[in-house]
Amino acid sequence: MADNILELHDATKKYAGVPAIEDINFTLERGEIHSIVGENGAGKSTLTKVMAGVVTLNGGKMLLDGAEISPQTPVEARNLGIAMVFQENSLVPTMTAAQNLFLGQENAFNRIRRINIEAQQFFQSLQFDVDPVTVVSLLGAAKKQMIEIARAVKNSAKVIIFDEPTASLTPEEKLHFFNLVRALKERGVSIIFISHALEEALLISDRITVLRDGKHIVTDKNSNFDRARVVKAMVGRDLSQTIYGQRKSVTRPAGKKVLTVRNLRMGSQVKSCALSVFAGQVTGIFGLVGSGRTETFKIVAGVMKRDFRHGGDVLLNDRPVSYVVPAPAIRGGIAYITEDRKLEGFFETKSIAENIYLGLLAKLRGKRKLVSKKEADQVGQTWAKRLNIRTINTEVRAVELSGGNQQKVVIAKSLIQDPELIIFDEPTRGVDVGAIEEIHKLINTLADQGKPVVVISSYLPEIMSLSDRILVFRTGKVVEEFSAAEATEEKIMYSAIH
Amino acid sequence: MKKQVFSQQSVVILISLVMATGFAIFLPAFLTVLNVVALLQNVAILGILSLGMAIIVIGRGIDFSMVALLVVPSGLLLQLVQDGHSIPIALAAAFALALVFGLINGFLIAYVEISPLFTTLGTGIFLAGMGQAVFFPLDVVPWGPQLNSMEWIGSGPILQIPKPIVMFVLAAMAMTFFLRKTRLGSYVYAIGDNPHGARTTGIPTRPVIVFMYVLAAMIATYAGLVMAASIHSMPTRIYNSTMIYDVILIVIIGGIGMTGGRGRVSNVIVGTVLIGILLNGMTILDVSYSAQNVVKGTVLLIALLFDTYLNPRNEDTAQQGDV
Repeated sequence: MADNILELHDATKKYAGVPAIEDINFTLERGEIHSIVGENGAGKSTLTKVMAGVVTLNGGKMLLDGAEISPQTPVEARNLGIAMVFQENSLVPTMTAAQNLFLGQENAFNRIRRINIEAQQFFQSLQFDVDPVTVVSLLGAAKKQMIEIARAVKNSAKVIIFDEPTASLTPEEKLHFFNLVRALKERGVSIIFISHALEEALLISDRITVLRDGKHIVTDKNSNFDRARVVKAMVGRDLSQTIYGQRKSVTRPAGKKVLTVRNLRMGSQVKSCALSVFAGQVTGIFGLVGSGRTETFKIVAGVMKRDFRHGGDVLLNDRPVSYVVPAPAIRGGIAYITEDRKLEGFFETKSIAENIYLGLLAKLRGKRKLVSKKEADQVGQTWAKRLNIRTINTEVRAVELSGGNQQKVVIAKSLIQDPELIIFDEPTRGVDVGAIEEIHKLINTLADQGKPVVVISSYLPEIMSLSDRILVFRTGKVVEEFSAAEATEEKIMYSAIH
Repeated sequence: MKKQVFSQQSVVILISLVMATGFAIFLPAFLTVLNVVALLQNVAILGILSLGMAIIVIGRGIDFSMVALLVVPSGLLLQLVQDGHSIPIALAAAFALALVFGLINGFLIAYVEISPLFTTLGTGIFLAGMGQAVFFPLDVVPWGPQLNSMEWIGSGPILQIPKPIVMFVLAAMAMTFFLRKTRLGSYVYAIGDNPHGARTTGIPTRPVIVFMYVLAAMIATYAGLVMAASIHSMPTRIYNSTMIYDVILIVIIGGIGMTGGRGRVSNVIVGTVLIGILLNGMTILDVSYSAQNVVKGTVLLIALLFDTYLNPRNEDTAQQGDV
């Protein structure tokens, strides 16, 4: 019988009735390194947040050392011995390494010299090369991570959860990090490791658990896995076919080249990205979170700015363009339909008609100095009918609509601007099944009419069923291109997770 | 979203009626024609300022420099005429000053992205200080006889209605037209509702924000001219008064949500009337200045509570867990 430090039985967590994880059984053995892998939205983050007390379960139970626990806050979880090292690190940048190490546990009279000495000794005992008096904002990502780990160990954590720990590290730093993790294991700490990088999971773990669509798929010893088996477990689906329709049998040929991106750069998110988009077909863009796919197209549409120097070129119909705000990009014929419609999509206090009409006003500019309620109503009715926005009347405020109808309003607001190039970012996120089908039909119609259409999606079946051509993003650039005919879910996923 | 049974506007009208009835019953002096006219006249200037503030608040900002913009440009006009300059030159100087400060406010807020609160606090005190230190030798800038051709702006009733009220009504009509009928007006609502959304929709958000602050500065200057013409002087000390709180009180209590994108000119009008009744009643009751401030502060806090309850910041509160 294995010695389990942490167990979850039938763990379920729902957000607004939608399960993020469902009936998950998970065990963590004492002193093992256990990787959890899965696609975006597979439930990895939710599962670990449950363990770390960031969110609480709706159903099922969690056992630590055989005793049932239910931490309500991260502090409670930490006191129980479960610590999480977050993707975005949680250090105070203006304090020194030592101050951060002791953060929240200072004595009433906090003597800097004492904590500096104690921090020095503590870092040495872990063989971490960190200077305790350096201000954290001056340290690199790897050193910051060391402080986070030191803090977890100092709080006598029995379980440490790493969420994407290697994302911001250089290759050498990664090697060092793996050594740290192994050293922690020697000290008897149990480790949960979440990563998009499959190689790392295969390299370091004792066991691997695969999640998909919020469900537990398989847990097995590392030696029983290879890349192919993990990828297959990650993408194998049964439900998707019924929702997303069959793969297309005929692909549209490429028309005129409309968009060319060369050597595009933006900070650490987009690195020398190059791609082309052609008229009359759907170009599917796949990539995991943080691969730079959204950022690349936001730069094209003027929502974000590329690097000032060596930022690269964007060519629209062979003419170089550089938009720094969306307004001129829209006049130039580029429509970017956002992935976050609440934050940058619709106007919640405005009616459907007013929302769509604002899109028209923004496009027409000086040609409409005065607004007309009649024109707004007319526009609202025409587009509500065209996109099948179901509501009692077009006076209803956008915030009261369902997700699918809100998305259609956002799409109508862009289409009324008569764009030449249409970029859909996650067009069916948070959208009901019926509306998904309609939006997909609309995307296909646009491509059939000869428009160049870009669809960015994290959901492979969506990419597979829509695209004539698939580009895969990884680490800020396009790493692979597939035609619809040659693409398989396994191949795409394989290139997305190096 | 809950369906709102009572709109804030109807609640405010109800409170106004209750208060007015109460004052009318218990204070014989309240319900006389003279008093009602005086009541409206007193708040007409506040009402005009509140129209400017309303545009800013609808566009998700705030402008604390409005009182300084009421005092200094119109005071400058009076002073220049006093010093022997012609009226057109003095008018041009006054509006140019307002334009410059509107542009500074707008530029710092829209392009440098400093919070509107701190920006306008800074420009407000700078402008008021400049007026007192550089432009005006006296605390009260007198109305020179040369200006009598401009007197019609603020005095001389039309059909027994005092001029400031007429000017408030005119300004309210112009503002209604701007907010409801012009493209720029729609942009202001869109920016207040969802600034990121407005940007991605292709609305030139930064120029529109600059325009908002310039417009507010112009309205404040207009209010200053009406005020100077009606009382035949410009008391620069009112910059140090609690006037800006009255303006904010009117805007919030009238129902223009601090979250932006919500509210109309009618909200400003009901807010102005309510505050007018409140101030007038307290004056007749001979409530001391400090006690009046306690009442105003209480009403402002209650109005803010209601505003937060009725117009919650959706994008923050409705956030769901990241799945």
